[in-house]
Amino acid sequence: MPDPIYLDHAATTPVRPEVLEAMAPFYGPRFGNPSSLHRWGREARTALDEARERLAACIGARADEMCFTSGGTEADNIAILGAWRARKADGRNAVVSTPIEHKAVLGAVHQAAKEGAEERLCNVTQAGTVDAQSFNKLTRPDVAVVSVMWVNNEIGTIQPVEDLVATAKANGALFHTDAVQAFGKIEVDARTVAFDALSLSGHKIGAPKGCGAMFVRRGTALESLFHGGTQERGKRPGTENVAAAVGLALAAELACAERETECARLLALREQLEAGIRARVPDAVIHGAAAPRRAPHIVNVSVPGTDSESMLMALDLQGIGCSAGSACQSGTASPSHVLSAIGAPRELINAAIRMSLGSMSTSESIDRVVEVFARLVDKARRLAVA
Amino acid sequence: MRKERVLVAMSGGVDSSVAAALLVEQGYDVVGATMKLFCHGDDVPDRPCCSLDSINDARRVCQQLGVPHYVLNLESAFGHDVVDDFVSEYARGRTPIPCVRCNTFTKFRDLVRKADAIDATWVATGHYARVADGRLRRGVDHAKDQSYFLWGIDRAVLSRMLLPVGAQTKAETRAVARRLGLEIIADKVESQDICFVPDGDHTKIIRQKLGSDAPALRTGPFVLSSGTVIGEHEGYARFTIGQRRGLPGGFPQPMFVVAIRPADRAVVIGPREELLGRGLIAREVNWLTEVDSASLLGTRLGVQVRHRAPPVAAEVIRAEAGEIELALDEPVSAITPGQSVVFYDGDGVLGGGVIEAARGQRASLPVLAA
Repeated sequence: MPDPIYLDHAATTPVRPEVLEAMAPFYGPRFGNPSSLHRWGREARTALDEARERLAACIGARADEMCFTSGGTEADNIAILGAWRARKADGRNAVVSTPIEHKAVLGAVHQAAKEGAEERLCNVTQAGTVDAQSFNKLTRPDVAVVSVMWVNNEIGTIQPVEDLVATAKANGALFHTDAVQAFGKIEVDARTVAFDALSLSGHKIGAPKGCGAMFVRRGTALESLFHGGTQERGKRPGTENVAAAVGLALAAELACAERETECARLLALREQLEAGIRARVPDAVIHGAAAPRRAPHIVNVSVPGTDSESMLMALDLQGIGCSAGSACQSGTASPSHVLSAIGAPRELINAAIRMSLGSMSTSESIDRVVEVFARLVDKARRLAVA
Repeated sequence: MRKERVLVAMSGGVDSSVAAALLVEQGYDVVGATMKLFCHGDDVPDRPCCSLDSINDARRVCQQLGVPHYVLNLESAFGHDVVDDFVSEYARGRTPIPCVRCNTFTKFRDLVRKADAIDATWVATGHYARVADGRLRRGVDHAKDQSYFLWGIDRAVLSRMLLPVGAQTKAETRAVARRLGLEIIADKVESQDICFVPDGDHTKIIRQKLGSDAPALRTGPFVLSSGTVIGEHEGYARFTIGQRRGLPGGFPQPMFVVAIRPADRAVVIGPREELLGRGLIAREVNWLTEVDSASLLGTRLGVQVRHRAPPVAAEVIRAEAGEIELALDEPVSAITPGQSVVFYDGDGVLGGGVIEAARGQRASLPVLAA
């Protein structure tokens, strides 16, 4: 069998060798706890502080506005639940979000609702972007926090965060954005866009799984989820994962430095992939293709008359790794809530395959993917008729 | 050289795990799959065929065997073909066998389509049954024989089925599990319950689907065959033909449920003699061998009306359009509408059908005009 082809970078990415190298000393000689008084502690504290500054610089933030977490999910939860819990006493009980958010955001929103919040999900267009009119109607002075992801992880559409932030701020609401898929693909700058909170995830940008960060603008009140020590200014108690912080900072710097060239490369590959698929399978539907702005690395395609599960297995057995919808704990691919929200027909939802490009993607591998994909589509259609 | 690809349906239990392991030993290109048929969420302790523990067990066995494992989402099809039928049968006063429908529609049809999608020539399960000489046959271990549940599958699938444990006993299967180091599942406890009925209470799912005021769950009369009302029951869905449990007492002889009448929600009870049937009518008849409908009349078969019942000799007295009427050589107790009647020829399964009704008196072939 030819070399396997990884097309699931939106799910996770390999740890970059430089990142691993930068982290290694902190599992070895530089193992200290940053909270310790002695030299081991001071050394670790220094490394942590430097990592924080470097990461902050990547998004135009100040060091004290960066809080290291265990990943994007934790950051989403602290930002949304923490913000709502901190503000409901002021008479702000509503939470506004979208139906196409990542489950971590929706989960936090639902939890707030369980605790008494009024959950408001705005409409989204068929192209996969927030319907500004709907959003504006729901964002009123009774809103504690708004959460809108910057780049959608399933279909790659870019949300008009700049405009949405303005509406939120005008109504005194906090604006949180899940930038897990956005960071490294589009410009994310706290100096030019007035978001109050933002989530980052390490394993999407070549850092390890289990590390991430949250940006919290100065003056933003958030209740912590964890209780205990005073680390991360009390926002996130627990001994800091110094190695991960160092790794995340380097990965972020590299991602920012390479962003323009890498995105150009990914865009070219994406266009090659889409053109190849369209040529071989003219009735393939690419979700979100009509959106005004799309991230360069995600292609979510449905071929009428096929089913995701069979296609994914068949692709895997040919050495090609993709994904679909959201996996539930049992491991099955359940129909995508994002595609449902944008009004995709049932037939297409059941056929959706997400292919996401990244560091491991090459032009030759794209050719093979198109070839195999087209062949599997032909077979699926022949079987359906039989 | 590797043999062809086989998709193995793995529940996480010892039989299907050993089936997969034997196929790996025999050189097949094995792909393991666990079917997700329903979702209870996380709050139900280990149940076969869906629960996370079972899926994880199957996954880990595949890891140990070095073969891929997938979880297949067949919830919608299963819900429609198995669960809905289960509920509607109880609503009609009948007693369904969901495992039969699962085998017919889910395992040996829907799963076969998945096999096609991944170029698997074969489909395998851990059933105690065999395919030999082009015929479906009983498993070698008569106590575990599961051929009874397979009568409904499409005959064309037989030539694609591999049943690796059918030629051995359950004890041998467990021994193989230990020999291969599959400790995870070697001593797993067997469950006899229906996979989608947590805690064994089948009325729950009926309530869920039809509401608590469904006729099958409402109170109704216990009556004798004479029509005398002798008590009240809590819903005819709780009863099956031949049942003794839950009946009013005070009779000189043991009493059994002899019929269920949804029209007036009556559960008819009577003594042992009223349970005996000397004939039966079955529908949805399916044949697993070449059958010439014209010459079916008068054919003699061995039939089983229960999984555990010994076969009884019978004669076909009517056969048309998927329906069959049999006259039994000897009376059989508790012939139950909704259960399966399976036709055997020695250890070969000829086919079967869904019991529609029992006949009290032995009927005979219609006398043809001279």
